[in-house]
Amino acid sequence: MPEPAPGAAHYTVLVADDNEVAQRLCRRVLEKAGHRVLTASDGQEAVNLALANSPDMILMDVAMPGMDGLEAMRQIKTQKPGMMIVIASAHSMASDRERFLAAGADDVLSKPFKLTELTGVVDRLAGHVSSTRPQ
Amino acid sequence: MSPGTPPHRDPEVVGGGSGDRARRLTPLISAGVVALYGLAAVVLGMIWPGGLTPGVAAALLVLLGGVAVTVYVLNRRAEASAAEAERHAAEVERRESLLRMSVDGTEVGLGLVDANGRWLRVNDALAGILGSTELDLQETTLAAVTSADAQPAITGALDSVKAGSRFEADSVQVRPDGSAFPVRIAISSVPANGAGPMFLVEERDVTEAKRAEHVRDALAAVRHAAATSATIDQAAPSILASLATELRWDAAQLWTLDEQGAFRLRNAWRREGDRLAEFERECQAAVVSAAEGAFGRARQSGLPAVDRTITPQTYPALVMAARRGGLNGVLAFPVGATAVIALFAEQAEDQRDDVMTMLATAGSEIGQFMQRAETAEALLRSEADHRAIFERAPMGIARISAEGELVEANTALLQMLEHDLPTLRGQVWPDLLRSYDQAAARARVAPLLAGMSAGDSVQVRAATGGGRWLWLQVTATSIPDDHGRSGHVLVILEDVTRVRDAQDRVAEALEAQKSANADLEKLDRTKTEFLSIVSHEFRTALTGIQGFSELIRDGGLEPDELRAYGGYIFNDAERVNRLIGDMLDLDRMESGRMIFRMADVDINEVLTDAIARAATSTNVEFKPELDPRLPIVTGDRDRLVQVVSNLVNNAVKYSPEGGTVTLSSRAEGEYALITVSDTGLGIPPDEIAHVFERFRRVRTGAATAIAGTGLGLTIVKQIVEMHGGKIWVESAVGHGSAFHFTVPLAAAVVTPAMQLRHA
Repeated sequence: MPEPAPGAAHYTVLVADDNEVAQRLCRRVLEKAGHRVLTASDGQEAVNLALANSPDMILMDVAMPGMDGLEAMRQIKTQKPGMMIVIASAHSMASDRERFLAAGADDVLSKPFKLTELTGVVDRLAGHVSSTRPQ
Repeated sequence: MSPGTPPHRDPEVVGGGSGDRARRLTPLISAGVVALYGLAAVVLGMIWPGGLTPGVAAALLVLLGGVAVTVYVLNRRAEASAAEAERHAAEVERRESLLRMSVDGTEVGLGLVDANGRWLRVNDALAGILGSTELDLQETTLAAVTSADAQPAITGALDSVKAGSRFEADSVQVRPDGSAFPVRIAISSVPANGAGPMFLVEERDVTEAKRAEHVRDALAAVRHAAATSATIDQAAPSILASLATELRWDAAQLWTLDEQGAFRLRNAWRREGDRLAEFERECQAAVVSAAEGAFGRARQSGLPAVDRTITPQTYPALVMAARRGGLNGVLAFPVGATAVIALFAEQAEDQRDDVMTMLATAGSEIGQFMQRAETAEALLRSEADHRAIFERAPMGIARISAEGELVEANTALLQMLEHDLPTLRGQVWPDLLRSYDQAAARARVAPLLAGMSAGDSVQVRAATGGGRWLWLQVTATSIPDDHGRSGHVLVILEDVTRVRDAQDRVAEALEAQKSANADLEKLDRTKTEFLSIVSHEFRTALTGIQGFSELIRDGGLEPDELRAYGGYIFNDAERVNRLIGDMLDLDRMESGRMIFRMADVDINEVLTDAIARAATSTNVEFKPELDPRLPIVTGDRDRLVQVVSNLVNNAVKYSPEGGTVTLSSRAEGEYALITVSDTGLGIPPDEIAHVFERFRRVRTGAATAIAGTGLGLTIVKQIVEMHGGKIWVESAVGHGSAFHFTVPLAAAVVTPAMQLRHA
């Protein structure tokens, strides 16, 4: 694990994505930023890891085999309403963003993303709990 | 016989003058006889031989006395006889006079002819009939006063009539002035008086009777014509011809008032002849004022009127024509209020009353007939109009009785239903009626006839004689009888099939439009989904490319990091390229723009090549089960290679390490059957139906080095089907999957039809 960047908060981030390349990118970027990264390749694994490890934030892909990201988010939010979940999806149309927010996402990160967008959303949200956000 | 004609004294007839002569002769004869006796006695006394003796003298005296007595007696007798004869003669004369009076007094012409037809005696009546005198007639014969045409019959009668028999006939005789006249003649034989046969000829002048008969015949002809004609134009020729011929006119014409109140020639008859033909032609062009001559008088008085001359003053319109026709006399009589019949002749004579009466009657009757005929014609026209409406109406019209029986149907109805009337009446109508009844009952809960009121209308389905099904609009109207009771029902049938079909088509079109809209919506959704999926695929691939290239750009990476990231970027870029290629392929195939280069292909070779290629880069074991006898197939080799490698790659991708991928081939009917099976996880039953859909990927959970585009199986299915083959999958979770596809053998010429059957 690389050294966390000095002066930055260190959070545990669960990256749920069936795409290996995407997983690796997120891991590389977030660990470089000093965060701890957990990875899951499908929805069920994401639910299991989220409930088991209580990450500060989950970066959740939507289109995954078996249980998709939205269902995983629903299950996680049911049990841990305060879990910060950012949907990171290549479904990047405006309607998709609304759809994901309506489904309970705390934020939406559209793929492909600039690396600062990824670190920015983690810095902005990982320290918060979702219950503090206006519903 | 003129009264001054002296009576003919005939020796054979006992004369009336013989008694007078006897009375005058008797004293002379008596004196003569006595004188002769006295002279005889003197002579005897003188010459008596021996002298006159007393005895002789006495004898002489006795003789003389006897003679004297005899003379006296004879004289007395003669005197008595003369008186008797005189009385007898007077009696005969009286009788003959009576007979003569009666013979001459009778209207019947009587005459005696001899065997040669020579007139012996004629009575006054006969002399009058023949326009001659008895003396003149005695110079001629019965045949001579008979018209040439009738002579044979008359002379024949003289030859054939025997005693006791009688010849009687109509004949025509001719007067010395040349005029012919009709007679009723009877010829009978009279007892011969020693001088050969004689014949009694009885004659009656029947001119007047014939004339009256003609008048009666004319009226009868008029009535007959009226009774047997429908229109005045049919009746007129016969009427005019009868009037002219029976009444001896040269031309007869019917003139009717036109709308301007002038007479126009409507019908004409004339005798043969150029002048009369010319007259008629000119009359046809003439306009005769309603007041002109006898025309006007007849019209105003309502009675026949005669003009014996046609003058320019009285007949301004007709005078020229009449003169050309040589016609001077005209008789006109009114025919109803709007017509006259005019009779023209060279000379018009004063008409007898019976003719005038007859003509007035005839005119009145013809007028009534004209009125009747015109009314009838109008009715006929009206009836014809209605009949025409009935027959030519574009809709079917039927009249049905109160019992529901078809009484009549018009042509349109028969054509519409493609039946003849008997069939329609007997078989079809009851069914149609029932269907109407049912329809009516359904629509109005009313039985047919009871429920029929004006304008009731339903649509029923009916089959024509030709087997076509029609929608009929049935409209019923009750026609009350004279008593206002419900009588016949008029049913109007209209073929509304086209309307109904059009309605149906509109409904279908609307449905199709809805469906099309739904399809469009679906297509739109599909397109949106497709775009969404495609963009998702691209963005997913781009996520790695963009992220790692940004890392590289920002620098500070280790060489091995750089190499690894470069590999990720390359793979994703390659994937994007494949994605674009697959999408274009799919689009070309789906739009039919993909060109297949069909040729003979050895499918076993394709399978062997695919195994050789895949085996180098995987740990999966390949097991070929190829039928060496498999005939070659027809196909595009490159595309078939694409199919096989796709299926092989798929099988490898989802196979566990050390799994087995089996490729088999064999002939199956007219097809080669190829199977690519693996020992992987298998496809869940709910996914099997979707494996050939775009971007449907069954994930193994293990990330694979080669990322599929999600279009591979969709493309495979398209290629197989474009070859006329079929693809399907069998799978059991935990045991693996088997993809089967068929390609037609080259030997079997696969027609589109076979493809269809196969599909």
